[in-house]
Amino acid sequence: MSTLPRPSTIFLAAITTLVAVLLYSPLFVPIVSSFFIISHGNVDWSSPTLSTYVALAGNHDILAALRTTLVVGVCTVILSVVSGTLLALYYHGRHSGRSILQFIIFLPFLMPPIISGLALLIFFREIGLERSLLTVVIGHTVFVLAIVYRTVLMRLQSMSRTLVEASYDLGANGWQTFWRIILPNLSSAMVGGAILAFALSFDETMITILVTGTQSTLPVRLWAMMRLGFSPDINALVALILMFTVLLCVLAARFLIPRQMATERN
Amino acid sequence: MSGAGSTHAAERRLSQLITVLAFAMPVVFVLVPLAIFLVYSFFSVDQGTIVHAPTLGNYVRFFTDPIFLPVFWNTIVLCVSVAVICILLAYPAAYFLTTLKGRWRYALLMLLLVPLLMSYVIKIYAIRSILGLNGFLNKALVALGILDQPSTLFVFNMNAILLTLSLLLIPFAILPIFLSLERIPQTLLRASDDLGASGLQTFLRITLPLSLPGVASAASFVFVLAIGDFLTPQMVGGISGFTFGRILYSQFGTAYNWPFGAALSVALAIVVIAAILIGERFGRSRGTSV
Repeated sequence: MSTLPRPSTIFLAAITTLVAVLLYSPLFVPIVSSFFIISHGNVDWSSPTLSTYVALAGNHDILAALRTTLVVGVCTVILSVVSGTLLALYYHGRHSGRSILQFIIFLPFLMPPIISGLALLIFFREIGLERSLLTVVIGHTVFVLAIVYRTVLMRLQSMSRTLVEASYDLGANGWQTFWRIILPNLSSAMVGGAILAFALSFDETMITILVTGTQSTLPVRLWAMMRLGFSPDINALVALILMFTVLLCVLAARFLIPRQMATERN
Repeated sequence: MSGAGSTHAAERRLSQLITVLAFAMPVVFVLVPLAIFLVYSFFSVDQGTIVHAPTLGNYVRFFTDPIFLPVFWNTIVLCVSVAVICILLAYPAAYFLTTLKGRWRYALLMLLLVPLLMSYVIKIYAIRSILGLNGFLNKALVALGILDQPSTLFVFNMNAILLTLSLLLIPFAILPIFLSLERIPQTLLRASDDLGASGLQTFLRITLPLSLPGVASAASFVFVLAIGDFLTPQMVGGISGFTFGRILYSQFGTAYNWPFGAALSVALAIVVIAAILIGERFGRSRGTSV
């Protein structure tokens, strides 16, 4: 392992840089446009402005869509974490029927969203459930459930059985063992699953387009606006969401990953 | 939870409830909708209403109509190309990551995965503006002297779909390849070095074969995500960039033929399942034996 950069290393670094540029250029466009005025593809660098952010504060349509997205996200997180954890607890260590039901849980995640979305669309129509935010939440929950389930199940599998046995030996009953031993051990996996579920729900577009009623979430609202082109305040929104996302990532990396690694090492 | 069978009646009732829920939830919200969907593919439409009588008409139409099979095939070729482009870019990047040490490795991996969290719709829109007539790509090519004048080659056609999907899906290729490269024991590489192999020989004989499962998973991920997407083709494909996903989506909108759309979905599902099985087969074969 020489420390001098060899030609192959330079080549690899160059490709990696190219990939990073390719991945970030689509993010760069809206952020630059949120601070500068662009006309005919030329950026006017001379006059930075915050007018797009001011305009965003007055765009009730978009803010309502953002609120809807957050409501859907929170409901999806609660439903998917509760049911994903229950399913993981139920199937952990139980093998009859587990592989088949696990396969069913994973289907909406593996199948293209257009198939899951259309299947739900027809299903809701057959059972006479009007398209609304409820159907959106059901769609999102079905979609993200597999991720939460898997995260929690993997934690359960890495948990030592002796912990539970020790709890029973010391006279705790099933409830006490669950609340005092199992749940605290699962909590960081549940938080991790919740963050993933929220991130997926926040950006879910294809299923939502198919099962949403009159109230649309942010991605669907943006999708509808995109045909006509975006107003500049959308760029401000995008920049804000990106900053929030990066912050969330840094926080997740800072607090979640080291703790997980530490528990896995023990 | 081996203690669930305790004497408390409340606890037993709860565990029965959980059993019912554990089976009912996946069945009601996943299996039943998919089953109804499958049944729908055997129905037909007459004067805008769905006829609930079994027929093979939709499938016959799919195979005999000169429109659908070519689009289906072209879409598969398109998505395979997307997978190839993504892997060609992702492999060197993932390899570079594994040459880094400690914190840097994961920091850079994170950096390459963060764009995934950014709104899909916004990214498509931004990429379209980059590829467009007044876009950055054309400006750069003209400035470099490669083009005389801005070209419409990169937007509202199949090229645009290919480029946009590749840009969107690269991170999905990086992660599995990185994981498979990282799993290769360093001792193997050192042994190869000790035995006198050059860097290239070690790469071709040790690293590359051992990382192929990751490449297979990456290819199947990217392919499945690309073929299921109807937003990108709709947005950057224009009139000439017609993909299977778009045709399928239109059956539930303008064309209003749900049963035929369901039959097209079955065709799509079969391709997707095949891709997943192939990815699974090759993604596992060596990975577990190491």
